[in-house]
Amino acid sequence: MMQIKLGHNLLGTNQTVAEENREKLRQKGVYFLNLMSSPGAGKTTLLEKTLALVKDRLKVAVIEGDVATTKDAERVARHGIPVVQINTHGACHLDAAMVRDVLDTFPLEQLDLLIVENVGNLVCPAEFDLGETVKVVVLSTTEGNDKVPKYPLMFREAGAMILNKIDLLPFTDFNLEELAVDLEGLHPGLPRFDLSARTGEGMEQWLDWLVAQVRSEKQ
Amino acid sequence: MHEMALMESLVDVLAKEAKKHNIQQVKKVKLIVGQLSHALPDALQFAFSVLRQYPPFSSEAELEIEERETRGRCQSCSAEFAVEDNYLFICPQCGGLAVDIVQGRELQIDYFEGD
Repeated sequence: MMQIKLGHNLLGTNQTVAEENREKLRQKGVYFLNLMSSPGAGKTTLLEKTLALVKDRLKVAVIEGDVATTKDAERVARHGIPVVQINTHGACHLDAAMVRDVLDTFPLEQLDLLIVENVGNLVCPAEFDLGETVKVVVLSTTEGNDKVPKYPLMFREAGAMILNKIDLLPFTDFNLEELAVDLEGLHPGLPRFDLSARTGEGMEQWLDWLVAQVRSEKQ
Repeated sequence: MHEMALMESLVDVLAKEAKKHNIQQVKKVKLIVGQLSHALPDALQFAFSVLRQYPPFSSEAELEIEERETRGRCQSCSAEFAVEDNYLFICPQCGGLAVDIVQGRELQIDYFEGD
């Protein structure tokens, strides 16, 4: 019997590919946003509204990640945006190799912003770096504020957070004070945008932040 | 939920390393799993029980998992501490909120044994 000491990270292979994606997109000046949430938090609606409002200011493309179907890609394509659908066929997250394999289908030289809508899940996508410039997590008021302490890695890794469906706040037990306290402990200073993608309330601050981030990456 | 994907990458690494060290059958693997990774030991064990039916494993191969709690280090006073409830990154010594993660993200193959 022989014992071999290793110390390999199980995510090491993914990490290597993610760094390649990051470097490639950085060289082309593309800001890469990884959009994540649980299923039903409103990622696709937020994405559609965001695209409609920024497509005159930025050149955008989208990667849609879903376990199955092309429904979300069809919704995005209606906005005249280049979109590629990745179906993971059961896997609960996208990985860096899946992204690498579709990157060259986009006119990267011309793009300012590439948004990937990850599979709806607050656990696994947080672990798998895709090579993104920033992770943005969407929480909705109907899910409850306890999702922050329940899924700490996601909220710790995020570079910005959106609280969606604030139009429904009065009909829920969502506790904004508890949310603020939990976020202060887990990720102080995390930029947060409270909005309703459906009504458009609060969208302006989010878009201003996003456009400023993309432009600062370009310089 | 991503335990199967993690264990598949374990198989990839071990297949390469076993070949490199001329090991025919892997009989034991030790993994270090941090609390922040949300990889569940039971689910990892289940995935392993499926994967050990195939090379490079012996069908009786054993998976040992060492779990590690989440620990932080305060950027202001350098105190190191266990992160309460796995999410309160608050320094118990000075109350500082700028805290680096020093432990808890591990998903690491410590060693393997075989012959």
